[in-house]
Amino acid sequence: MKSTRTFQMSQEFVVAILLVSICAIVGIFSPSFISFATLFEMIRGSLAFAIMGLGVLPVLIAGEVDLSFCSVAAFSAFATHHILLRLGYQGGIGVYLILSGLIGSLSGLIMGVIATRFKLPVFPVSLGFWMFWYGINLFVISPVINFTLPQGLVGYYSRYIVTVRDPVIGISGLHEATIYLLVLAFLMWMFLKYTMTGRGLYAVGGNREVALRIGYDVGRIIRIALTLNGAFAGIAGVIQGSFYRYFSPTLFRGQELSVLTAVVIGGASLKGGKGSVLGTILGVFFIQVVTRSLVYLGVKGEYQQFVLGLMLIMFFVASSVKGKPRTKLITKSGSGAQSGR
Amino acid sequence: MQSVEFLRVENIHKRFGGVIALNGVSFEVNKGEIVGLVGENGSGKSTMIKILSGVHEPDKGNIYIEGRLYKRLTPIESIKEGIHVIYQDFSLFPNLTVAENIALPVFIHEGRKFVDWREAYKVAEETLYRINPNIHLNAEVGTLSASERQMVAIAAALFHGARFIIMDEPTTALTRREVEALFQIIRQLKGQGVSVLFVSHKLQEVKEIADRVIIFRDGRKVLDQVVGEVDIRTMEIHMTGREISTSEKDGRSIQKLGEASAESFLLRVRSLTLLPHFQDISFDLSYGEVLGITGLVGAGQRELVLTLFGVLKPQGGQIFIEGRKVQLRDVQDALRVGMGYLPEDRVNEGIFVGQSVANNVAVTVITRLSRLGIIKSSKVQSLGEKYIRELNIKTPSARSPIETLSGGNQQRVVIAKWIAYGPKILILNGPTVGIDVASKAEIHRLIRRLASENKLGIILISDDIPEVLSVCDRVLLMKKGRVVAEYEHGEISEEALYLKMIEEVSGV
Repeated sequence: MKSTRTFQMSQEFVVAILLVSICAIVGIFSPSFISFATLFEMIRGSLAFAIMGLGVLPVLIAGEVDLSFCSVAAFSAFATHHILLRLGYQGGIGVYLILSGLIGSLSGLIMGVIATRFKLPVFPVSLGFWMFWYGINLFVISPVINFTLPQGLVGYYSRYIVTVRDPVIGISGLHEATIYLLVLAFLMWMFLKYTMTGRGLYAVGGNREVALRIGYDVGRIIRIALTLNGAFAGIAGVIQGSFYRYFSPTLFRGQELSVLTAVVIGGASLKGGKGSVLGTILGVFFIQVVTRSLVYLGVKGEYQQFVLGLMLIMFFVASSVKGKPRTKLITKSGSGAQSGR
Repeated sequence: MQSVEFLRVENIHKRFGGVIALNGVSFEVNKGEIVGLVGENGSGKSTMIKILSGVHEPDKGNIYIEGRLYKRLTPIESIKEGIHVIYQDFSLFPNLTVAENIALPVFIHEGRKFVDWREAYKVAEETLYRINPNIHLNAEVGTLSASERQMVAIAAALFHGARFIIMDEPTTALTRREVEALFQIIRQLKGQGVSVLFVSHKLQEVKEIADRVIIFRDGRKVLDQVVGEVDIRTMEIHMTGREISTSEKDGRSIQKLGEASAESFLLRVRSLTLLPHFQDISFDLSYGEVLGITGLVGAGQRELVLTLFGVLKPQGGQIFIEGRKVQLRDVQDALRVGMGYLPEDRVNEGIFVGQSVANNVAVTVITRLSRLGIIKSSKVQSLGEKYIRELNIKTPSARSPIETLSGGNQQRVVIAKWIAYGPKILILNGPTVGIDVASKAEIHRLIRRLASENKLGIILISDDIPEVLSVCDRVLLMKKGRVVAEYEHGEISEEALYLKMIEEVSGV
């Protein structure tokens, strides 16, 4: 008999196995791929996306789809940067993270209030906000990339916990921000597993009508999910800006879908009710590994999207075949109605 | 059994606009008593459930719970008093575990902020142990059978402190064995002092499980009696308010089995097998004959007719139509040899919602009504009107959307669609499920007419015993994928057939 846990483990397990086998295959063709330096580079490349993925996870679990988190990240980070520059702030990333996280959560809350107040699905509202925040950045704050960094952020790109020297990549290491990801992942895991609100997200995503009937405040749960989503996006924006060594008004533009793809690969369902922290991180890492592998295998830039797209189609087809019942009958009125709801 | 009153309602009135849903209803339910509540659609059953669960407010009347008077109940008061409804959808979260489904509602009502998983599993285990210890606590509810989900729903209600459980049509999706298990649980609940209101239209089951039966008709209570003192026929009469005349059986001429030569059989089925659903099925069907196939849910009758209609592929056996052997590889093949199939799920498989009555009738013959791929709407219209007349379909016009019709009239449209196509054999799968008793009788008359006038061979799949016995010339009883008995019309009584149907299964 399958349980929630074993099902999610299996999805996570599949992704983990795929990750290992892809690495092994690439390693055969290009032995330099298998190194700590490659691993650390891939971790650094995944950090901001994993944090955004963790943020959108509760929204997906509740059965809603948000597309605005990338523009929230861009807005929160860009606004934070300009505010702190004006104040003459020269310190480290800490204040950036806190302020951007707050701005992000406020942005998420505003969207949540609008969606729940007018009983709208999150998706169309988030389409509006996706344009709105990028618009605010370009129109109100500044249309140009800002390269001025406070002293505390100079060199943040290479602030490593562990440093390695690699013949191909050169000096690299495990970035300090990995700790932020681990902390945020742990908090999100605790939230989803041990709070009534966290379980409420699964309940709302599983059967919204019943969640209402047993007394969950569905609107409040969706507002909380979107607030968390905003906070995580704000944090991710600052981290990515620090990596790039500049702050852009159009940060992450066009990358919403790859984050959503990663979360879905990790076992979340766009229909709601499913998804886990570990799966999300593995999903983000999967996309990162596949993209890098294609580089290592010498697949030309213009073919990479094509190959990645094919791999995704194959992945989703394979996982749907896995979950299908053996014999297909015309659904019976009684049992079909229940499972089809 | 001590008869201490748990609930009493007095003179409850409720109207919705101009419709009187309840008109002065009074009854009481004692602690540990199982009461069957019976009535047709629109008799006021569901309104009563909603008043007891606090969804609706009565216009007039009193509700006493253990002597405490309520003019109306709110949903929260209702739950506090231990009144729980097990809805047909069970109100569960398919993506959560059994334990969580049981524990979560109570945790919410206690206003908790955090989940203590150890406690959740402990209380869920204790509660589930009271009814069925065989369900895994960390199984995802979506992977359970309907019967298991129902037990989880009951356990959730018990953990919530249920003392009065209302079960709304609880046996609809269950096999006979699962019904037995449910009855076992209901009896256990009774032993624990929990009262059960068993709302059902299956009179046999009510008779089997309930201590007392209450019948509603047109918003009034028309019968309230100890079950042992009433028979099913009486219940039926009270339910409908009249005796439903069984279909006219005079003037029928049926070829007796064995007398007719092989060619005159419309359909011959020999040793048809599709494991694990059915095996070694053989029968014949003559022109103008109505053959009933009955059995418990899951005895294989459904798969058998789906095989005859080309949906499923048999593993062995032969099908002959008018003496010729046929291969049914898909539905198209079945249509070509003259099969028609009326699905059991009328709404999803039988009708095209949003389309007019005429379009729904014409859909099987649309190519005949069009030239060069362009549909002649006047022909569609007149075809629709023809069948509205012939089958006495009650609709404002042929242009009305089909979903505005009553269930019985929708079903007649589905039948009309097949007659228009002109099949030789018509398979009817549960043609009167969810249709009120009066329209049911008319559909029965229509079935008989199709057999006698149009000379169709009709296969009727139904677990409604009075239906198969009154409409069919011959009845096959299926059990576990085999035909175990065959009865001519009038050869067996309802009670006897019911006993035959359940005897072996309950002995296993």
